[in-house]
Amino acid sequence: MGSAALTILGKDLRLRLRDRSVWIFALAVPLGLTVLFSLIFPDTEDLQITGAVVDLDGGAVAAGFADGVIPALVDEGLLERIVVADAEAARSQVTDGDLDVAWILPVGFSDAIGAGEQVELEVLVAAGRSLEGEVARGIAEAYAAEVGRIGLAVTIEAAMTGGLDPGLIGGLGELAASQPRLASLADEVSDVGDPLDFTSYLAAGMAAFFVFFTVQFGVTGLLEERKLGTMPRLLAAPIRPAAIQAGKLLGALLLGLASMVVLAVASAVLLGADWGPPLGTAILIVALVIAALGVMALVGSFARTAEQAGNLQSIVAVVLGLVGGVFFPLPGDAGVLRIATLISPHGWFLRGLDAQASAGDWTLALGPAAAIVAFGIVTAIPAVVLQRRRQAW
Amino acid sequence: MGQVAQQVLRATGLRKAFGALQAVDEVSLTIAPGETYGLLGPNGAGKTTSISMIAGLLKPDAGTIEVDGRTMTPTATAAKAAVGLVPQDLAIYPDLSARENLRFFGRLYGLPKAELTRRLDEVLSVIGLTDRADDRAGEFSGGMKRRLNIGVGMLHGPKLLILDEPTVGVDPQSRNAILDSVEELATEGLAVLYTTHYMEEAERLCDRIAIVDQGRIVAEGTRRELIATIGEQDVVRLTVAGDAAAAAAACERLPAISSADAEDDVVVCLVDGAAAALPQLLAEVAASGASVSGVEVREPDLEDVFLHLTGKALRD
Ligand SMILES: Nc1ncnc2c1ncn2[C@@H]1O[C@H](COP(=O)(O)OP(=O)(O)OP(=O)(O)O)[C@@H](O)[C@H]1O
Ligand SMILES: [Mg+2]
Repeated sequence: MGSAALTILGKDLRLRLRDRSVWIFALAVPLGLTVLFSLIFPDTEDLQITGAVVDLDGGAVAAGFADGVIPALVDEGLLERIVVADAEAARSQVTDGDLDVAWILPVGFSDAIGAGEQVELEVLVAAGRSLEGEVARGIAEAYAAEVGRIGLAVTIEAAMTGGLDPGLIGGLGELAASQPRLASLADEVSDVGDPLDFTSYLAAGMAAFFVFFTVQFGVTGLLEERKLGTMPRLLAAPIRPAAIQAGKLLGALLLGLASMVVLAVASAVLLGADWGPPLGTAILIVALVIAALGVMALVGSFARTAEQAGNLQSIVAVVLGLVGGVFFPLPGDAGVLRIATLISPHGWFLRGLDAQASAGDWTLALGPAAAIVAFGIVTAIPAVVLQRRRQAW
Repeated sequence: MGQVAQQVLRATGLRKAFGALQAVDEVSLTIAPGETYGLLGPNGAGKTTSISMIAGLLKPDAGTIEVDGRTMTPTATAAKAAVGLVPQDLAIYPDLSARENLRFFGRLYGLPKAELTRRLDEVLSVIGLTDRADDRAGEFSGGMKRRLNIGVGMLHGPKLLILDEPTVGVDPQSRNAILDSVEELATEGLAVLYTTHYMEEAERLCDRIAIVDQGRIVAEGTRRELIATIGEQDVVRLTVAGDAAAAAAACERLPAISSADAEDDVVVCLVDGAAAALPQLLAEVAASGASVSGVEVREPDLEDVFLHLTGKALRD
């Protein structure tokens, strides 16, 4: 970009930083709300499930679950295992709420798996323990999927060799329980609803929410110049008209990035938050600021005045933020809401942080970041078209 | 050819319509270096619209504009660099200081750093804001803001300075200071395009004046030439009680009266030889049913020219 754009960028940043409301809304309010919400809502960081396993089968595959998977969860501190006498006892304790969950492995479980037949691992969940239930169900599904895969392989082998090798079936549960994929699956599932710790989630959510307001000036800046009366002077200057918008977008981008980075660092230093691997976090932040610019530009291009634009943009930013779950993690079993997070850049942002933080792998941020950037592009294109049409020449 | 190149501004046949409204209709004008050209017209005459086209903010529907020999368009940066614009509405950032405002626009015009610093001090002194240079423009009085608004327009040393009603809402002292500095700039060789609906300003500043009404230039020339269009006539103003319009119509029938217009309760007549015609004039008014409560005879001015040409007052 030319020096005119940079000059405008410099002027805009100077004006922004002089505006106290920018500091308040870009930094103070998000941090304040994070503190407030983390006080109001319980911290789910130390999610601990009280559960029991009832093995009515006694076969090898069932044992793989009861003696392989479950102890691993206990070791991880996720599960407190209660020993119960039988299925009835488990059922009544779940009903009473003494147990959060119970897994019941039915009679014939191992054989059915070995024969490649349909069989259900029953999961009981106490009322009001939806989060725990989600985790328990996830663990069961993960195991079932794993043994199902292996079971299929065994069945094929049986069909080819004309008989079942009992030894093979015996080793099935062990095999399934030791699968690394299952372990990681259980790991991931165990983090549902608590991907980042609660404070980090909130801090990131608040930052994502408010950055949409921070970048506003970049897209409504032209309307504001018009309101100030400075637009004729900018248009009379020997610069390309596009430089005016370019300078503003660049300024908004920088300010948006800066506010998010400062919030990430400040929430870490002041509140002990951790947004996960820095590289992935940085990628997600850049993506989100781009999306914020695109979305706000599109909304703003329907407005005639700066006030109108501000109102429309606020509505959209609040709705996308709410839907994206910036104020509280959405419960995992709320299917519609889960889908809703997918249509919100905020939702993708939090998912991306969640994924990369849980796995400690920044590359997991790339998918969600791509989705967020797509938001930006899809909204920016019509915004540019509308803006072009609006121009006086 | 030499003549042509000499003009700083050549605008030919400018037209601009907003929907059904023909805001500017066949406006042509030229301004030479050192010349101050006035557009004098009432609200809505099309002054700002004309200026917007000349400054390259607005694309004309028809017509051509050349500034300093270069065609002006909304993307003609070289032509724009030769123009300084002082918009009618304040165009400064209230949250920047006077100096910061000047510096920002100076940079947009590509002034090199050293020159910018020098010009900053010069302009601040010309507009009398040296003492307040580092105060927020938002804290300035109306007149100070106006002066800063003008300062920004002349900072980069344009060849053509366009001032759109720069003195509106300014106290007499500030107004005088503004007019003085415009005169000063013109003597330095700047071409100035000045719009106003204050006749006195146009009379004082402008070498040539165009009288604009409803998007058209209805007359153009020096002050003397414009007044001469009325002829060697006197202006007689009769304050009447009763139907002023009917009285004006009655007066207009007299052979010595070339025009008579009613303006509220005043009938303004252009008269050949006021002393001889006055008794007849008073008799006509009385015959029309109105009574005369005041009489004033004077030399015509631009107001009278405007009234004569358009049948209405410059200021409403
Ligand atoms: N952007 C616009 N859209 C529609 N109409 C416009 C626009 N700009 C000006 N006009 C109309 O064009 C006419 C001329 O306006 P203009 O601003 O040029 O007048 P002016 O001579 O500068 O008046 P004033 O002394 O009040 O500043 C007016 O009737 C005005 O309403
Ligand atoms: Mg005007």
